[in-house]
Amino acid sequence: METFELLLHGFSVALQPHNLFWAFIGSVLGTAIGVLPGIGPALTIALLLPVTITLAPTSAFIMFAGVLYGAMYGGSTTSILINTPGEAGSMMTALEGNKMARAGRGAAALATAAIGSFVAGTIATLCLTFAAPTIAELAFYLKPADYFAMTALAFCSIAVVMGRSRTRGFVSLFLGLALGVVGIDAMTGQPRLTFGTLQLLRGVELTVVLVSLFAVGELLYVASRYNKIPGVMQPIKGQKWFTREDLSRSWKPWLRGTAIGFPMGALPGSGSEIPTMLSYTLERKLSKRDDFGKGAIEGVAGPEAANNAAAAGILVPMLTLGLPTSATAAVLLAAFQNYGLQPGPFLFTSNPSLIWGLIASLYVGNLMLLVLNLPLVGLWVKLLSIPRPQLYAGILVFAMVGVWGVSGAWSDLLIMASVGVLGYVMRVYDFPIAPALIGLILGPMAENYLRTALAAGQGNPMVLVGTPVSATLIVLCVLIFALPPLIQRLRANA
Amino acid sequence: MNFAKIIAPVLFGAALAVSGAAQAQVNVMLPAGPGGGWDSTGRQAFQAMNDAGIYTGGVNFTNTGGAGGTIGLAEFLGTSTGQPDALAVFGAITVGSIELNDSPINLADFRPVARLTAEYLVVAVAADSPYNTLEDLVTALADNPGANPLGGGSAGGVDHIAFALLAQEAGIDVPELNYIPQTSGAETVTAIVNGTLTAGISGTSEFNQFAEQGRIKILGVTSADRRPDLPDVPTFAEAGYDVELANWRGILAAPDAPEDNYRMWIDRFVELSESDAWANVLEQQGWDDFFLAGDDFGTFIAEEVEVQGQILRDAGLVD
Amino acid sequence: MRALSTESAKTDLPLEEGSGQTAAPRPFWIGGGLIAIGAIWMHGGLSLPQGARYAAVGPGLTPTLIGAVLVLLGVILIVQILRGERFEPQDSEDAAATSPMDKRAFFTALVAVFLPVGALPTLGLPLTAALAFTLVTRALGSTRLIANFVIGGVIGSVSWLLFTQLGLQLGRFFPPLGF
Repeated sequence: METFELLLHGFSVALQPHNLFWAFIGSVLGTAIGVLPGIGPALTIALLLPVTITLAPTSAFIMFAGVLYGAMYGGSTTSILINTPGEAGSMMTALEGNKMARAGRGAAALATAAIGSFVAGTIATLCLTFAAPTIAELAFYLKPADYFAMTALAFCSIAVVMGRSRTRGFVSLFLGLALGVVGIDAMTGQPRLTFGTLQLLRGVELTVVLVSLFAVGELLYVASRYNKIPGVMQPIKGQKWFTREDLSRSWKPWLRGTAIGFPMGALPGSGSEIPTMLSYTLERKLSKRDDFGKGAIEGVAGPEAANNAAAAGILVPMLTLGLPTSATAAVLLAAFQNYGLQPGPFLFTSNPSLIWGLIASLYVGNLMLLVLNLPLVGLWVKLLSIPRPQLYAGILVFAMVGVWGVSGAWSDLLIMASVGVLGYVMRVYDFPIAPALIGLILGPMAENYLRTALAAGQGNPMVLVGTPVSATLIVLCVLIFALPPLIQRLRANA
Repeated sequence: MNFAKIIAPVLFGAALAVSGAAQAQVNVMLPAGPGGGWDSTGRQAFQAMNDAGIYTGGVNFTNTGGAGGTIGLAEFLGTSTGQPDALAVFGAITVGSIELNDSPINLADFRPVARLTAEYLVVAVAADSPYNTLEDLVTALADNPGANPLGGGSAGGVDHIAFALLAQEAGIDVPELNYIPQTSGAETVTAIVNGTLTAGISGTSEFNQFAEQGRIKILGVTSADRRPDLPDVPTFAEAGYDVELANWRGILAAPDAPEDNYRMWIDRFVELSESDAWANVLEQQGWDDFFLAGDDFGTFIAEEVEVQGQILRDAGLVD
Repeated sequence: MRALSTESAKTDLPLEEGSGQTAAPRPFWIGGGLIAIGAIWMHGGLSLPQGARYAAVGPGLTPTLIGAVLVLLGVILIVQILRGERFEPQDSEDAAATSPMDKRAFFTALVAVFLPVGALPTLGLPLTAALAFTLVTRALGSTRLIANFVIGGVIGSVSWLLFTQLGLQLGRFFPPLGF
């Protein structure tokens, strides 16, 4: 039980008053920046990197742990309340979460997100404590074909967010895919669909599109058909708080989300997007109710847990191997290097109090955010009682602060406005929004893994099912599409 | 209870509030996202300048990432031409990117201030690979380039160019190489270990620890001399391939910057290169000193443009 | 597409009361737009190599295929519209899907959305925020222009101060006066 002793020692580090204070500062700053659309944990930590230079490494990392989780809490809050997911990981949360908020169940949505994040974060941190080295090996085991199969599986989540018409769902998906190919082709370095402009070389930023399709499109739509009857929406209707029923509906999605999120977060490249999508799909497929798409709490609980578990997952290869598998991890690695520390197996032996202090502070940061957020849920929900005109105007201002703050480029503001118009048209003619985003997120990943796998296999398509994992996942994809009609036909015949 | 530990956070908050009020006097373009190598080069250099008392005024950083720095440099060109106190970070990758993306910018237009750091590249194979020397690898490549995928950073970047130069030295047709760009050094390492790539290339700092962990074998380094942290790794030249290449980073001033202001910045960077503060940064970050100032740096850039442009044409990446 | 439309059957279009009387929209232009976008993407894709030495899939293949499918989807959409496919605006709590479009409010909001493109770099965040805030609140029926302008300006200024401290680059505070 050496690990346990080291962890206890870590807690003694993390629980020192000044370190608790840094965890608190980190949580607050992380939440504050995380509520801005488009600004996720990676950028938040990168921004705070210079200001921590004067701190002792242990305190700085404890603060970063708070920032990491804080930024994620901040992102889910805006997704739920104002339908403005700040980053890809909270996109799925917005789908059901905002519907809940609009039905007066915002507090329950926020609560299940907060508690789910806490549960997932805690379990994931436990796994990190005891199983990290084993899980980290996954990164060395999986090949491009496996990742391609994983993106293919995540593409199945389109099926459950398709909306009323298959055609319009596919239109949305392919518009997203079309935006995804803009920019420099990763494999050959050639510009694609940039129309000779410099600005488009870096591609269409996902967060800009997220903000535009959700927030800007909604604003234009509401403006064009504003329902002026006052008091349509109350922040809280009927059941005020997180009920026993909510809990009984939430706990399984929390655990499933954690199980999906943690290992996938540990893999290079999959980040938080794929696990949240898979979790949403899974919950929707498993749900026996028909309230999915209208504000099902499972659709918030699962992806939120997956998102947070993935955040802990990215620390696994980073801490145990020094392998940064996502943007957030890369920024954390840079932070380690700022202190002249090289994460990896040696850091566990050379600087145990730092590593275990960090791991312990993940528990502490998680708990602190829960304690901070649960009482604040009521306050956050009050946001919804701001009069509509001012609420939507405020959303636009925050959207532009986010987009402008990330890139400082007018071209991104132009993309925001234009894609916002697209979002408006999609609402007026009932095209689903989510497939476009799924296309934009997964399209480039899938293309890249496909071409990498093929190049390594010298163009032989069999490499795509050449590993046990890829073969299994591809079979699973086929089953997802082939089984339901098959079962329907069998039932019809019976 | 240590009093200082309580007061520090309070002071931190106050410092945070005041820092923004300081008037920025120099504008620095960082043509990459926050947290990356160029970002830290720029910020660390000015932090060290501040610590060493060379320049203690305000600095206004702008991060405009994308396309190997060409987007940021184009913006820098537009906003800062003729301006004093306007600097930009850039590096070896910019050179290839300008060619690849048909970028309208020309590095010769900017005024070269100083080359600061370099990171040398190492070629590695999996620990259980049958290849134990660079020569083994090259022989295999010459035999069947397609079956031996190579990987590293972006297409046309320094990593790619290093392999291309190696191939040329060995008489292998450059377009025959099966080079697969990886999104990060981490991905290159995993791809080498799991057998997707026969060999990979990356900065020394990214591969070192995985060699120490016994997951990969480092076959060669692109520096002129053996490196102190890799005493057993031969240089490319020792292995018989006349390739020397560094992923360098440097500072440019705006085109047509006023002469005296430009000279002043060169002097400041020369002073920085001799300071203890900068030595500490190099040590902490694991960067190699690669200092070269002013016109000599300009000549160096022109040579790099020539060499990289030629190899990209040979590789069939640009026409 | 038929083969794929397995699940759409269970979510049949609900008949909304009152919507049957107004002429159903027939947005042929969307089909046309999709065909146009598809054509542009196919053109862009076809100007690049479709194959690659080892990867088989070249840089041009994906955009070409995406473009081709968009053209196909545009055609299918037009056929569906000709067959009487219905396009009901999406439900939203704050928008009455059945009410006619308020063009004036829409265009006011549209100006607010496009305003930052030119205004943020030249006017700075606080003033841009104030203007955008006023326009949006106006579009949504608020008549207290001055109050809204002030609120927008305050939100913009506070955001600028706060997030600049935290390290975001939000440009200069008030460029017209040069600071």
